[in-house]
Amino acid sequence: MINADLLQSLDPSEAERVLALGRRMVLTSGAELFHLGDAADCIYLVDRGRIRLTLPMQVRSREEDVLVEERSSGQTVGWSALIPPYRFTLTARAPLETEVIALPREALDEYFAAHPATGYAVSLNLSSVIGQRLQLFQAMWLREVQRMVELRCA
Amino acid sequence: MNMEMLLMGAVLSMLGLAVTCMAFGAATRGADREPVKEKPATKPSIPAPRFFVDPSRQVPIEALLLQIENHVRLEQAAAESFLQAPDSARLHSRTTSALVN
Repeated sequence: MINADLLQSLDPSEAERVLALGRRMVLTSGAELFHLGDAADCIYLVDRGRIRLTLPMQVRSREEDVLVEERSSGQTVGWSALIPPYRFTLTARAPLETEVIALPREALDEYFAAHPATGYAVSLNLSSVIGQRLQLFQAMWLREVQRMVELRCA
Repeated sequence: MNMEMLLMGAVLSMLGLAVTCMAFGAATRGADREPVKEKPATKPSIPAPRFFVDPSRQVPIEALLLQIENHVRLEQAAAESFLQAPDSARLHSRTTSALVN
């Protein structure tokens, strides 16, 4: 777990201290980790299993949760907990038994205030996670716009 | 006696001729009364036009959701490929998604 994307570049002992701020949670298959719009108090590191991130979509007049992204071992979910207004913008569900480490924002804030170098390293890692997500969805969005233009101009 | 036989033969001949004429008449009248009805030409079956039918409506919703999920995965993979080596060709590469093909 010390190889989690959020803990990259931290030395193992420091990574262990950050992980010790959290608590392990085991999600049974189909269990919801958080729901769209919920208050986001914890960021999660996936230790084993998978987390499906979904958004609601109208499919034939029915609201269905549609897969947006899937996260697996070593990856971070729920970074809305560290970004105002601290509300989840997706719904997260475990498609199989999954174990995560929940890191509360308050505990992280206190620790990083006392250990700014660690806070800086984790912030850089978080920027990387967010930046990758942004670039990915920017490209996906442009592909859909391209298709829309082709359909309209066909 | 000869005269009687001659008359008998003439009567029988007349009778046979009458019967033949009646049979011929009956046969030709039947043909006039029941003309052969022409069967309408069978047209090749052409499917009804479906201009306003959305083909996706034919797909069960579970299958449609799977198609959407598959589409998202393929699009994500295509976008990741673009991010690995950004260029226009990769950005607009085609996928095998059923939703766009």
